[in-house]
Amino acid sequence: MTFQEYTPDQEDALQEVVNIAMGQAGAALAQVLDVYVALSVPRVRIVSADGVADAVQAMIASAQDGDPGDVTAVRQGFFNSLRGESIALFGTEGCNSLADLMGHEQALEKDEIDRELLLEVSNILSGAVLNGVAEQLDTDFAFSAPTLMAMRQPVNRLLDAQALGWDYALLVEVNFRLEAPGFSCHLVLLMPEESIEFMRRGLDAMLEGL
Amino acid sequence: MPLPVLVVDDSSMSRKLTIRAFPGDWDVEVSQASGGQEALDAIERGLGHVVFLDLTMPGMSGFDVLAEIRRRGLDCFAVVVSADVQPKAEEQARQLGAMAFVRKPVKADALHGVLREYGFL
Repeated sequence: MTFQEYTPDQEDALQEVVNIAMGQAGAALAQVLDVYVALSVPRVRIVSADGVADAVQAMIASAQDGDPGDVTAVRQGFFNSLRGESIALFGTEGCNSLADLMGHEQALEKDEIDRELLLEVSNILSGAVLNGVAEQLDTDFAFSAPTLMAMRQPVNRLLDAQALGWDYALLVEVNFRLEAPGFSCHLVLLMPEESIEFMRRGLDAMLEGL
Repeated sequence: MPLPVLVVDDSSMSRKLTIRAFPGDWDVEVSQASGGQEALDAIERGLGHVVFLDLTMPGMSGFDVLAEIRRRGLDCFAVVVSADVQPKAEEQARQLGAMAFVRKPVKADALHGVLREYGFL
């Protein structure tokens, strides 16, 4: 199957749509944690299914100047006009500083704290990014509750787009970094072919309005 | 003489959206820059008496540009146009010399309000 890449204009528009959605997500997280969330430029790419894991690993490595090491991942599915997977990836160290910020009691087992916090943070970020994208494309979608996908595993072991049954995937990556030491979260959205085309139509409509 | 206005954003769509939000009868000479360095060069050449500046850009961020404007003592009126809507982002931008802050997606009313407040309209 051949696949049509996004034009530079479409890619630019998508990046800006995600940038605005990311800003809303960062503000939502900042409000919950009462810290400043540093944002960086989101990145978008269309990749073939067998290249997804490598592409995600490369994006993360370049965002933080090096091998991401093991990550803990939380996923949420989304569906309706756009469908796909929203996956939040956390570095191993970040969880402790996050627990401090959220003021969680130490009564729970550490893994239990990690799990609750990461699900909560993932839900805030995914929800805000997805809602932000939907609003700008004048559509809406539903999403599932967050579930823990992997704890302390290498990135290339958690993503298998072939298992999703896709040929190509639109990969969107945004990076949130807290002032708190060691905490960063990469939010990755993966969408299959028909969503790539739905998005293309939405972006074209925005570009025509310019 | 038209007012030299510079729009700085890594996204060309975003620059167009900002320019589209300008008042129709505003007498300006618009220049664009897609990055911080290019923006500083344009300001030094006198192309940006009013500068609409994005914060989240690859390489030099909008914060870096504001700091550099101050360091070089460049004379311009900086309006931040950003999707980073955290109060701390606005606070930091203002501390670095930004005079106003407009949220993305840019609403014409908000932008006109800023221009009116500072006597550009």
